[in-house]
Amino acid sequence: MLLEKDNREMVPSAFDDISFELCKRRDNVIMMSADLSQYCDLYKVTKELPDQYVDAGMAEQNQVGIAAGLAKAGFIPITSTFASYASRRAFDQMVICMGTSKNTGICLGFTPGISSPAPIHHQSTEDLGMTRAIAHATVVDPMDVTDFAQALDAACDRPGLIYMRGHRGTTPQWLDATKFKFEFGKTYPLRTGSKVGVISCGHASQWAVEASDILSDRGFDHSLLHVPTLKPVNEDEIIDFCFAHEQIVTVENHQISTGLGGLVAEIVTSVGGGPRITRIGLPNTWAPGGSIKHIRSVFGLDAESLAARIEGVLQ
Amino acid sequence: MTSNSEKRIKTLELWAAKMRRNVVDVCMQRGGYAGQGVALSDFGACLYFDEMRPDGKGWYHDRFVNSNGHDTIINFAAMAEMGIYTMEELRTMGADGSPIDQSPIESARGFEITSGSLGTGVSQAAGIALGERKKGSDKRIYCLLSDGELHEGSVWEAFMFAAHHKLSNFIIVIDNNDLGATGKTSDVLAVEPIKKKLEAFGFHARQINGNSIPEILDAFAEAKTIKDQPYGLVADTKIFAGIKVYQDAIPFAHFVGANGRWDTGYLEWEPGWQEIQNTIGRLEGELAAMP
Repeated sequence: MLLEKDNREMVPSAFDDISFELCKRRDNVIMMSADLSQYCDLYKVTKELPDQYVDAGMAEQNQVGIAAGLAKAGFIPITSTFASYASRRAFDQMVICMGTSKNTGICLGFTPGISSPAPIHHQSTEDLGMTRAIAHATVVDPMDVTDFAQALDAACDRPGLIYMRGHRGTTPQWLDATKFKFEFGKTYPLRTGSKVGVISCGHASQWAVEASDILSDRGFDHSLLHVPTLKPVNEDEIIDFCFAHEQIVTVENHQISTGLGGLVAEIVTSVGGGPRITRIGLPNTWAPGGSIKHIRSVFGLDAESLAARIEGVLQ
Repeated sequence: MTSNSEKRIKTLELWAAKMRRNVVDVCMQRGGYAGQGVALSDFGACLYFDEMRPDGKGWYHDRFVNSNGHDTIINFAAMAEMGIYTMEELRTMGADGSPIDQSPIESARGFEITSGSLGTGVSQAAGIALGERKKGSDKRIYCLLSDGELHEGSVWEAFMFAAHHKLSNFIIVIDNNDLGATGKTSDVLAVEPIKKKLEAFGFHARQINGNSIPEILDAFAEAKTIKDQPYGLVADTKIFAGIKVYQDAIPFAHFVGANGRWDTGYLEWEPGWQEIQNTIGRLEGELAAMP
């Protein structure tokens, strides 16, 4: 399922093609933006399919409300903005206008976690926890072009609120599109071992793969599980994975509370007697600004540091 | 000689009186936003029983989004007359285990949205209006909100949006009763001049006596003639308008309890209940006497 290192590619402006192809296939989809289209790689739809594009201006609350209204008129709305604004500024609208509806309403949050170079205000390191707490919501954090495109297409057929983190700019294509088939809730083993089980989602699955490549070269016994759907997740698959390992490490582009690490801990403790879980991500602090390379190094999330931390849990 | 117009207005006065009766019936047993419901019955009667076009399937071709959850008692009061809800059901409003909520959620019969978080309905109504126009539909989307709701910033985002997209199928009605949750809107945070603000935001705006059925009908008629602009109707209403004994007793009340208690006084329900029954009897008699 994971492409060999030599076959992994980087795709420029991936979301431009993903959104354009989606809108061409589904003429009832309306892409939206809150005056950030170009900053979320949304070009072709705005120019070539103007009937399927609505810009709400810098008004994230209204964007989600308008989207919910479009859904009530029979369309499939997909809002887009930075994850920080999608979650923090329009949370009530997501809950009330989309979350209580049976209509499909999709909210995309771009530059999530520390993937924005501007500190705190443009970074969303709590959005997964916030949206995971919404009853009946669907929450997705894809890792690359392949699962992002497939998840977004599948979301168009799913009722209710779907919050999905987006990827902008040059985006990895690391999953083998001929073998990967996205399903809501499903978890995806990318490497199989027995001692340390690493669970990751979103951008952090890229980081985990990088660390895993290093660990594989060193012969360190570990597994890697990519969990793109935080809600609703297949709990049995999480339980089976966790109880098959001596220790578990979760890696996420998010605060270590309320996100993936919290989710895994909730599931494992509901069974009881499980492995120790080490949660890696942002430890209850604000991230600095700067390049993602810099920010990752600050938090020990760069490939070498992450590999060392995963190895370290057995010491 | 009685004109069609006079009969139409008298008929709507009777619908409004029946809606007022239903509002009092529910609120005297369960408590509620009785003052607003009574005051909005003239608007509700005009909308439900005259303005919105039937779809031939027991509902409407046009769409009504009540953004102000506190005013949904008028949706219930009208739908009780239409047989969509029974009074027995509505008398359980807000009771433990009752399916009837004071601010209903989207799946409730006859409600387009989940109201109750103020401001969110206006954006949704504008979205519906845009969507219906995109489909080529001639549906008209009516959205009720309140003057206090204008405190919510997203309402103004929605206004800008509606004007930018020239949503002439979008008609907002602002229940301008100078009443918020804890006091007069003008004391808490002034929102006037609402009409001028709407005009500045690109609406064709008009201010009327919201308790005058002829003025409401006239405004609805005008709204249909406006091109390329949303229509903003500022409807000045007075709490409990239409039931004089309540108005005299409580000129200002946000919520009235079932036992008649309100913020600073005590409301006796019975005299108003009698008054509205008498009004209905009088109007039925006058209507029967019309040719």
